[in-house]
Amino acid sequence: METDKELESRIDEILIAEKENKLHRMTKRDYIIAAIITAISLLGIIGGFFL
Amino acid sequence: MSRKHDVNKEIENEVYCGTLPVLPKERKYGFIDALLVLSGYCIATWSYTQGSYLATLVGFKQLLIGAFLAAIFMLMVYQLPVILSVRYGIDIWIWLRSVFGPKGNKIVTIIIILVNFPWYAVCCELFADSMENLLGLFGIQLFNGAHLVLSLSCVVVGTIIALRGVGTITWTTRILVPLLLLVGVAVVVVGFTSVPMDVIWNYQPQLAGDADKTVNYVLNIEANFAFVITLVGGMAEVPRLCKSEKSGYYAGVLGQGAAGSFFVVVGAVMAIAMQYVTGQMVDDPTLMMATLSAPILGLSSLLLVAFANIGTQAVGSYIYGVMLKSTFKKISYKTLVLVLGVYVAILCVWGKITEYFGSFLTIGACVYAPLAALLFVDFFLIRKQKLDLKSAYELPGHNAYRYSKGFNIVGIICLALGFGFTLVIYDPIQGIIHNKILFMLTPTLASFIFTGVLYLLLSKIPGIRRYIRRDTYVSPDKRPFDRAKVPPRQNIFFLPLMWLLCKMAVSPYKLKIDKYNMEGIKPPFLVYGSHNSFMDFYVTPLALKPYRANYISELEGFENFGEWIYRQAGCLGTRKFINDQSLIRNIARVIKRGDIMVIYPEARYANVGTNSHLTPSIAKLAKMLKVPVVTLNMQGNYLQQPIWNLKERKGARLHADLKCVVTAEEVTKLSVDEILGRISKELTYDEYKYQLDNKIVIDDEWRAEGLHYPLYKCRKCGKDFAMTSSGSKITCKFCGDSYEMDELGQLHSSSGEVIHIPDWYEWQRGFVHEEIREGRYKLDIPVRVEALPNSVNFVDCGIGRFIQDNDGFSLEFDNYRTEKHETLKFPAKSMVSLHTEYDYRGKFGPCVTLSTYDDTFFIYPTEESKDVFNPTKIQFATEYLGGLYS
Repeated sequence: METDKELESRIDEILIAEKENKLHRMTKRDYIIAAIITAISLLGIIGGFFL
Repeated sequence: MSRKHDVNKEIENEVYCGTLPVLPKERKYGFIDALLVLSGYCIATWSYTQGSYLATLVGFKQLLIGAFLAAIFMLMVYQLPVILSVRYGIDIWIWLRSVFGPKGNKIVTIIIILVNFPWYAVCCELFADSMENLLGLFGIQLFNGAHLVLSLSCVVVGTIIALRGVGTITWTTRILVPLLLLVGVAVVVVGFTSVPMDVIWNYQPQLAGDADKTVNYVLNIEANFAFVITLVGGMAEVPRLCKSEKSGYYAGVLGQGAAGSFFVVVGAVMAIAMQYVTGQMVDDPTLMMATLSAPILGLSSLLLVAFANIGTQAVGSYIYGVMLKSTFKKISYKTLVLVLGVYVAILCVWGKITEYFGSFLTIGACVYAPLAALLFVDFFLIRKQKLDLKSAYELPGHNAYRYSKGFNIVGIICLALGFGFTLVIYDPIQGIIHNKILFMLTPTLASFIFTGVLYLLLSKIPGIRRYIRRDTYVSPDKRPFDRAKVPPRQNIFFLPLMWLLCKMAVSPYKLKIDKYNMEGIKPPFLVYGSHNSFMDFYVTPLALKPYRANYISELEGFENFGEWIYRQAGCLGTRKFINDQSLIRNIARVIKRGDIMVIYPEARYANVGTNSHLTPSIAKLAKMLKVPVVTLNMQGNYLQQPIWNLKERKGARLHADLKCVVTAEEVTKLSVDEILGRISKELTYDEYKYQLDNKIVIDDEWRAEGLHYPLYKCRKCGKDFAMTSSGSKITCKFCGDSYEMDELGQLHSSSGEVIHIPDWYEWQRGFVHEEIREGRYKLDIPVRVEALPNSVNFVDCGIGRFIQDNDGFSLEFDNYRTEKHETLKFPAKSMVSLHTEYDYRGKFGPCVTLSTYDDTFFIYPTEESKDVFNPTKIQFATEYLGGLYS
């Protein structure tokens, strides 16, 4: 029961932080950069076929 | 206190703290910290094995592309779900419960360990190799079987360290990582200085005659995909300690993709250099240093590598021991570590783990690729980055992820099929390519794509979506349904299938269709049908064959069966009893393009098999469209499956009359009342009269069960909500008055009175009218409210209050759009009836619905109000107040 209470209070705290935008989320820009790096890596892999 | 007790307590604490969500303020790691920790995890002597394996496949340049770009590509994709671990401070094993269910997760944990732990056998093999080679350099000959003894000694020492618990492991890690870095630096220096640079740069492997360079390049990419993807298990616990999602994500990508890959390349350089100098490719850094520099350097490196291998084995046993402990709480940590030790020992005795390194990698990836795909799709596309944490932790009362007795069957099937799909492409044991086209994608990537697409497509099937999205309340789709969307024509390819389905559905009930005045009537025309049960949707297409048609359907059907299916069937979505101008425009579009428009004007199933009053609006619509009006009166559909008990009655017989009641010429000439009169006349029906006249025997023993929903008032004592039903009887709970339903649908009292069910039904209506006229009618009760905004999901609107009086309806609820407790008013004159359900979808019980343009509110009684909530009485009052009987 103690564990459950501790767990529940932690979950609530995290959900409140999420609702109040206090978590450091990935931004749209971060996702775009990730997509660009992924695309470059893929192009590099495809390029490797021609070596 | 004994040492043993201390270790167990430490581990219990580790497991407990290791599973709790880490709060944002407790997070320790920035990007650099996380990068160093994860890099440390990725650097192990097996990197050399991977490097030398790659050098047997491709030249150095392709090897670099594989080691860095392939690794980074795969990591960029499959590390994305790590964001969820960071966001909620949980490790991946907690989250996996939503994908596989708590019990399914246990099985997946075991599978992951089975495919992952051979890495530690590689360490033990390397340890034994190093020892043998170096002793050989000093001229010491070992006895037969010494290799096995050495590798097992690595297992034993590593296991003993793991058994000593957290403190020992922490110190081992602190020594291990710098040691491995030191060995790496030494290998790089020796490797690059002992052979000319261009030898390494221009290196090409000596391939067998039949080897295909392209295949080898793909195997190189595959090995790197597999290498990074199989390390996720051990890395899964670190990201939750990161302060930001970005740092956790990029630390994971670069920890493996840069630091880990660098050591793979170091291993390759070492192997190439050794081949250049000795003609033999090796993966043992100690042998390389002893050969290429000086024996004393080899001896020093032996100590480093020996400790590093033992240390890696110990850390691995510890990490997976804790992971198993968090899954199998009742088994002691000591037992779990010993089991892991025995597993590695068995692999060492087998002695072929290095020989089958590539196979083992691909088999691991066969499991990890679908697993990673499931996580990716589940996180981004299905759960839309939201998780019900309380259900994931199985807190009491939070059971969204219990699925089927703890197993998410859909997730497990996808994992199994993804695994099988890899084997369909490539046999990793024999090295045989079964499908060269898919092989070009690499087995790992192909399996990743296949599993991801499969899981996504399955999630689009409504029944499966509801199964895997039992946590919809966490992140419901709130977008309102697009009522204005132009309805497609019924899919011409879908039509034969639909007819076949309809034919199969009606065949047990011997459907007979009669057509009147239909000669020369061709689309476009308007069809008004009677509405008794879901069977109407099977009978109508058969009656209209060979033409296709469009149908008006409540949005609830779209949610139940899926929007795509409903669109293919030609359905126009709307909400009941609202003034939907978009619907009128879409009806006009259907007619204009030359199709049939089918409308069920009663807009609700018949409660006791009799028609509802129709409103003049249907005649006005016909006059506006200027097309023939056809009626479809379906009989037997109610008898087959009455709304108050959805069990099918096999004795029912179906009959339908399709009749043109107003021609195109007449529609412009006749008045609204004349048209309405013709339609109403043809759509008048009484199912029990039809049953009696045609002597249709329905002898199911349970034939009266549920009849108390429409017949709620006792005929003898006059009490409301007094009736109950069982078997073939309906009885008053208060005075005991009882009626037996015979096989022809008539009710018989004990005194011999015969009651026609619709008479009893209408008799009740009179009392409600009287209550309203005398100002006595008022319903004010607590209710549970759910909203249906679209064809995707219901949204919980909490406990509210439902009031019905002479002014109409008032509904209090938690408005999910504004996140406030609000009240909506529905004026009495705005609705001529309302939608009712007696047991919604056969499991949710009675409810009524109220609609706005963007929401349909499903209103259920609470425990407190269930005895006074009767949809029939609410409907009677609505119809009277709405003017249907004035």
